[in-house]
Amino acid sequence: MTAPYARVDGALVEPAGHLWVAYSPATGETALLNDESAAILEILEAGPASTAQVCALLSADSGMALAELTPVVEASWSKLLDAGLVRAGRRAEPAKIAG
Amino acid sequence: MTTSPAPAAPNLRALQPGELARALAGKGLWIDLGAATVRVRSDSAVFAAQLGTVYGELPLADQGVWADTHIDIRRATGLRRWVRPQVVLWCDGQQPFEPFPADSPLPLFEWGCNWQIAHRLNDLLLLHAGAVERDGLALLLPAMPGSGKSTLTAALSQRGWRLLSDEFGAFDPQAGVFRAMLKPIALKNQSIEVIRAFAPQARFGPEFPKTRKGRVAHLAATADAVRRRHEPARPGAIVLPKWEAGSATRWEPLAEHVAFPALAFNAFNYTVLGEAGFRAAVHLMRVCPAWQLVYSDLDDALATIAATWPAVVQRHAEALR
Repeated sequence: MTAPYARVDGALVEPAGHLWVAYSPATGETALLNDESAAILEILEAGPASTAQVCALLSADSGMALAELTPVVEASWSKLLDAGLVRAGRRAEPAKIAG
Repeated sequence: MTTSPAPAAPNLRALQPGELARALAGKGLWIDLGAATVRVRSDSAVFAAQLGTVYGELPLADQGVWADTHIDIRRATGLRRWVRPQVVLWCDGQQPFEPFPADSPLPLFEWGCNWQIAHRLNDLLLLHAGAVERDGLALLLPAMPGSGKSTLTAALSQRGWRLLSDEFGAFDPQAGVFRAMLKPIALKNQSIEVIRAFAPQARFGPEFPKTRKGRVAHLAATADAVRRRHEPARPGAIVLPKWEAGSATRWEPLAEHVAFPALAFNAFNYTVLGEAGFRAAVHLMRVCPAWQLVYSDLDDALATIAATWPAVVQRHAEALR
């Protein structure tokens, strides 16, 4: 199981056409995100989560297979870390999607 | 008891020969661009003459209480006073640019002034965009160099659109409006002839044949744009111009994920403003419909914009209800 990741406090995400724009207060930079990365950030809003936890929630929400989701989520972490939108987070209770 | 209003200051164009040079050599001239004031001093009579041609509609202000930036245009000292004489731009005791030839102080002032504004006015989001106003709404023309932004902005400014700026889409995030940063439009190379032919009544400053950016001439703002330079404009629409030789006019809606980078990543101080810049750019992306305009014929390009504008006005009127 991978270490959990946390959304950087104050990170902002807004829809923009077919993509999303996200601002990181940690780096001061803005990134364009695809749907997968935006969904991960939305899940992390409820608290830190590991790849497995994120994939489980995404799968439950979207109906996509875990095997299909896992490589996508794993590939997203480095980009989200570089963009200053997530950080290595504390191990925590499994995150839950609000609503 | 009634009192007579104080007499209005004369426009720079109405000054007697030498009067502007004397003001520049004394305490200086406060140039009120709308969103910013620049105080400039100079010992160059050439600069005074050139400045008068493109800022001629501005009232004379040879004293003031505040300026956002202070610029000195000085004739170079030493041998450069005599051999290929030069002018130097000073600001805050620094000389941020290489000297220019003594016969070209205006381009030096314009570029130095833009540089100062871009670095200092961080209460505004300074988009790198042409901006014109009609019906109280700003039309933004963000674009990279060579896109025809200045040519299109110049053409619009001569056909019923009020020029706010050719260089700075100056958005005030607190008030939610654009403010004028009214400087002359720097036209380059063939754009000079294009606008001279398009608007024979337009007032140009002298032409500078050998600047680092090629041949440059400055188009003065109209008297109406100068008079109304403190009138704000609400965000209206975004048009990304692209000049292509010989192309038919193409007008295509622009998705938000294309409009946002064109605004934000092209702005002078977006990263400096941090979260406020992000929120401002998102707001503009949300409220402004956006299009890409590919053109080669100015009349056709303007007609295309004009044909769409009533729908833009209506959209904003409905949003206000």
